[in-house]
Amino acid sequence: MSAHNDSARDEVEPVDLRDPKLTRFEVYKEGLRRDDIEIIHYEPRFPKPGTKLEKRMERIVGGLFLLSGLFATLFVVAFIWWPWEYEGAATWRDPQTWYTPVIGFTLGFSLLFFAVGVLTWAKKLLPVEELVQDRHDGGSSHEDRRIAESTVDTIVDDMGLRRRPFLVKTALLAAAPLGLAAVAPLGALLKDPGDMYTVTGWNAERYNDGDPIRLMMKDGALVRPDMVSAGGQITVYPAIDHGATNQFPTAPTLLIHLRETDAATLRGNLYPMYQDVDALWGNFVAYSKICTHVGCPASLYEQQSQRLLCPCHQSQFNVVDNAAPVFGPATRHLPMLPITVDDEGFFIATSDFLVPPGPAFWNRPSLPEEDEK
Amino acid sequence: MKRRKGSNDSLLTKAGGELDDRFKLAGPARVLFNKVFPDHWSFLLGEIALFSFILLLLSGTFLALFFEPSMVEVTYNGAYVPLQGIEMSRAYESALDLSFEVRGGLFMRQMHHWATLLFMASILVHMLRIFFTGAFRAPRETNWMIGILLFWVGFFEGFFGYSLPDDGLSGTGLRIMEGMTASVPFIGPWASAALFRGQFPGTDVISMIYIIHVFIFPLILLALITVHVALVFIQKHTQWPGPGRTEHNVVGFRMFPNYVMKQVGFMLFIWGVVAAMAGLFQINPIWLFGPYEVSVVSSASQPDFYVMYLDGLIRLFPAWEFRVPPYFTLPAVFWPAIAGMGLSVLLPLVYPALERRFTKDRGHHNLLQRPRDNPGRTSLGVMIVIFWVIGAVSGGNDVFAEKFDISLNAMTWAGRIGIVILPIIAYYVTYRICLGLQQHDREVLAHGLETGILMRDPNGRFYEVHQPLAEPDEHGHTELEYNGWVVPKKMNRVGALPPTDRGFFKSIEEPSENGAARDEIESGKH
Amino acid sequence: MAASAKRRRGWRKRLGALARFTGALVIVGGLYSVFSPSLYAQEAEDNAIDSEVVKGQELYDTSCISCHGDDGEGIEGRGPSLIGVGSAAVEFQVNTGRMPMAAQGAQAPDSDYPVFDEEEAAWLGAYIEYLGGGATVPDDLAALVENADVGEGGDLYRVNCSSCHGYAGGGGALSSGAHAPALIGVSDEEIYQAMLTGPQNMPVFADNELTPEQKADIIAYVQYVVNDDKDPGGVFTLGRYGPSTEGLAIFLVGMTALLLTTLWIAGKS
Repeated sequence: MSAHNDSARDEVEPVDLRDPKLTRFEVYKEGLRRDDIEIIHYEPRFPKPGTKLEKRMERIVGGLFLLSGLFATLFVVAFIWWPWEYEGAATWRDPQTWYTPVIGFTLGFSLLFFAVGVLTWAKKLLPVEELVQDRHDGGSSHEDRRIAESTVDTIVDDMGLRRRPFLVKTALLAAAPLGLAAVAPLGALLKDPGDMYTVTGWNAERYNDGDPIRLMMKDGALVRPDMVSAGGQITVYPAIDHGATNQFPTAPTLLIHLRETDAATLRGNLYPMYQDVDALWGNFVAYSKICTHVGCPASLYEQQSQRLLCPCHQSQFNVVDNAAPVFGPATRHLPMLPITVDDEGFFIATSDFLVPPGPAFWNRPSLPEEDEK
Repeated sequence: MKRRKGSNDSLLTKAGGELDDRFKLAGPARVLFNKVFPDHWSFLLGEIALFSFILLLLSGTFLALFFEPSMVEVTYNGAYVPLQGIEMSRAYESALDLSFEVRGGLFMRQMHHWATLLFMASILVHMLRIFFTGAFRAPRETNWMIGILLFWVGFFEGFFGYSLPDDGLSGTGLRIMEGMTASVPFIGPWASAALFRGQFPGTDVISMIYIIHVFIFPLILLALITVHVALVFIQKHTQWPGPGRTEHNVVGFRMFPNYVMKQVGFMLFIWGVVAAMAGLFQINPIWLFGPYEVSVVSSASQPDFYVMYLDGLIRLFPAWEFRVPPYFTLPAVFWPAIAGMGLSVLLPLVYPALERRFTKDRGHHNLLQRPRDNPGRTSLGVMIVIFWVIGAVSGGNDVFAEKFDISLNAMTWAGRIGIVILPIIAYYVTYRICLGLQQHDREVLAHGLETGILMRDPNGRFYEVHQPLAEPDEHGHTELEYNGWVVPKKMNRVGALPPTDRGFFKSIEEPSENGAARDEIESGKH
Repeated sequence: MAASAKRRRGWRKRLGALARFTGALVIVGGLYSVFSPSLYAQEAEDNAIDSEVVKGQELYDTSCISCHGDDGEGIEGRGPSLIGVGSAAVEFQVNTGRMPMAAQGAQAPDSDYPVFDEEEAAWLGAYIEYLGGGATVPDDLAALVENADVGEGGDLYRVNCSSCHGYAGGGGALSSGAHAPALIGVSDEEIYQAMLTGPQNMPVFADNELTPEQKADIIAYVQYVVNDDKDPGGVFTLGRYGPSTEGLAIFLVGMTALLLTTLWIAGKS
């Protein structure tokens, strides 16, 4: 078929709608003609009404609808009367564990049966048809465009946009600050990040009146050296108000009790900045639990291979080498919390972390030691 | 107007008259009823997204009745025993109550989550169909861009929804997002502080993303979807090339009753599949994750699948941090997370313009291309798909490593090398396959179908008998042109015969005319 | 292909060497015990428990000595010293089939078919306990677990255990081929022994870090969540892996079903 006889209008003669002899279908076809549609193929699927095949199709579709109704009823019944309340650990024998499967199954299959019914109706009972419609792609007619252009020009001239440039300029001049004013309220969201990345809950000046901060476990118990055995680790928090809560997201620290040989290796590898502050106590070392990549808790301590693994992006840190990264996307070591034991035998942090823990940001202060390695 | 008599003057006619008196609908309604739609399975993929979106609105409204986006600290005293006595946010508590103490609440939550996954998955599949068939070309570039925006708004809408329950997994996701945000040069820390009203996690972020999740983004999605569908309607759907189909017409069936009935049926089918999945497959069991605590994490912490490729890129990216101490640091995560995401938004948006520029093809295209007919584009698409799949698999590489007993480090290295090399190989292989398929089509057009009948000529040479598709010239060649239509490759695809018998166990009724003719031929033979 | 055959041959050679080495050790050990009057055998007359030590030593000398060395002193690069690890560690490793190890590797995998039965494991435990005492499982563990606080256990589990074993106890990958095993179907004793002794890469959670009561809380939580409670959210839990299997399911089940449906809807009828 060539492009020239695409238009159905060209081929089909318009009919006179006032003609009383027109059949319904002829009137309908006139509608199609006005919408530039031509029937290529149109054939009732069952020209002889009431054949066995048609009856069968009707029975199938009707059956599907009835099944759908049945399942919908089952859904409503199950939704209301099936026991559903959680009553502690349950096995698959307890009916309440089947509540969600049962209502999901019944509702799902009610919808599916109805859907298949409608689709079968559409596929098997509607006439076989193929029609072709003009697309009218590619913009309006030349006439319409010309009229639209003239209309817009007239509007522009009525406003005098070309004649009164002063008004246009002043309006634009005002629009800029006005636009700014429109988005300015969003500025209420802004908040100075301040030192939120650099000061942690271990900062004694800010959170403990300058007294050294003790280490505590999540339940508030203060930590003594005899509470961690060699090869063991616990998560510790600053022993301050809410120290173990989300208010101090950069404070969680991993206190590891190394075996003698591992501790010796670590002492040999220790960065100067940690040597200077005597960051280890005995064979105990404390590393920030917050990954320096994007901040997940890097807390998978492998006591045999002496690695710390972050489960989010698989950065791996060498525990016996300042927790320097050995694999994965992390680039900086986990900062070490300098610790010692006070007179009463409890662990204390001698200072905050020397470098900011957690993910980096553009103006992150770093000590030269960090870059040497 | 003269009233028609008796039976024609039905209730329907009366109601129509009343409506038309008031709204003048007869003309526009006719245009709507008669509109012609092309019919092909691949034109139904976008509908999956559309109808799962409607389901998302419905199920989301149910959830909003019970969920409380509050980070107030409470002690759980609900039905789920292992969390009793645990301190948590009200958001997490209400999400637990929704799962355990609201009738059907868990089902609705699961339906909402499955519908989200289906929404995003179908957008991806739909986008691939549009891309590989060249349906994004003029005049439809705008709609392609709207589609890309829909994906990305859906991406963040989904991520925020995942973050709302304030469980261990969603908090971990937010924390990673915080790390990504902070990595942006100069504005990172300020942007993060604005998002969390200070230091992460703070006490405001849940209520903030709640209003985005239930109001702002759904509104944007709704507006974009409306324009998206309206443009398909106004510009008329593309169609596959074939007999009688040109750039200037649409061949298919009418909107009413055929198209609409199929759409309604398909909508119910999609909802049925989601409802059945929501009942049978457990998703996001938040009660196992516990409340979000900054010191708690789980192995196999992953985002939903549509975010997973980004997470995979973050895992694979090498530890390259750019530092000018002490003034400036550009974290490694910036490249895959911020630059990577930026490119993932930008490149698809401008792709139609790029293709126009490089092919210098500025015409309108309403006929689709088969993927083989544009090998360059198809290969590029496969390349991107492979890149995406490797990224997504790497996003779950710890689960793979554990379940298939592969070294985690080996998985990471395989991903790093694979994501560079495999897309290039995929490009080359796809290009060859496309050309091969085209070549075979041309051969069939020139020489005819392979019949599978072997003959031996007097010289003892074997040859296969070909069935020409048109009257051949003296060399046995036909002059059929290659024009992007589907070429029949088997004898029974030529003027395909309709099935003769109907019925499952025994045949029902008289065979159709063609069938009867065939039966006669066959019985005559025997 | 040639390279892989070569590698396999190398493998076999090494296995053979290991077998020969073990065999030689067995023979030497056997001869030793026949010809020399055993120190422990004499003591066994004094105490009934000591006969277990002797039986344990016999087993040790045949199956463990090649890696852990004479009298459990350990061999550099093969196996750690067992002096002081105690019977709980031994019984955990042996009863779960982790030891004796089939081959040196990143992971000592557990096995459904332990080499030794529980009685033999107890003998081995007694022998190692004899070499140097270590942590033991309390006798009243059942009572402790019975009275445990599941909620408290969950809190402790999430801080100390979930990072490796996962929220749902499904296990997780560690670095370089090692992994934390799943907790599905494990017994109270095994969990207790593992926490107490820190097998392989697992950190030690001795009684000073987690009291026996806290360990019992964790056991109660693990048994509740991992083994006792059927998930309320469906027939298929997708392994409780979270988003990775859920993403697979939406494509393999949801999208596949709907794509087939589009084929049917638009198919010629």
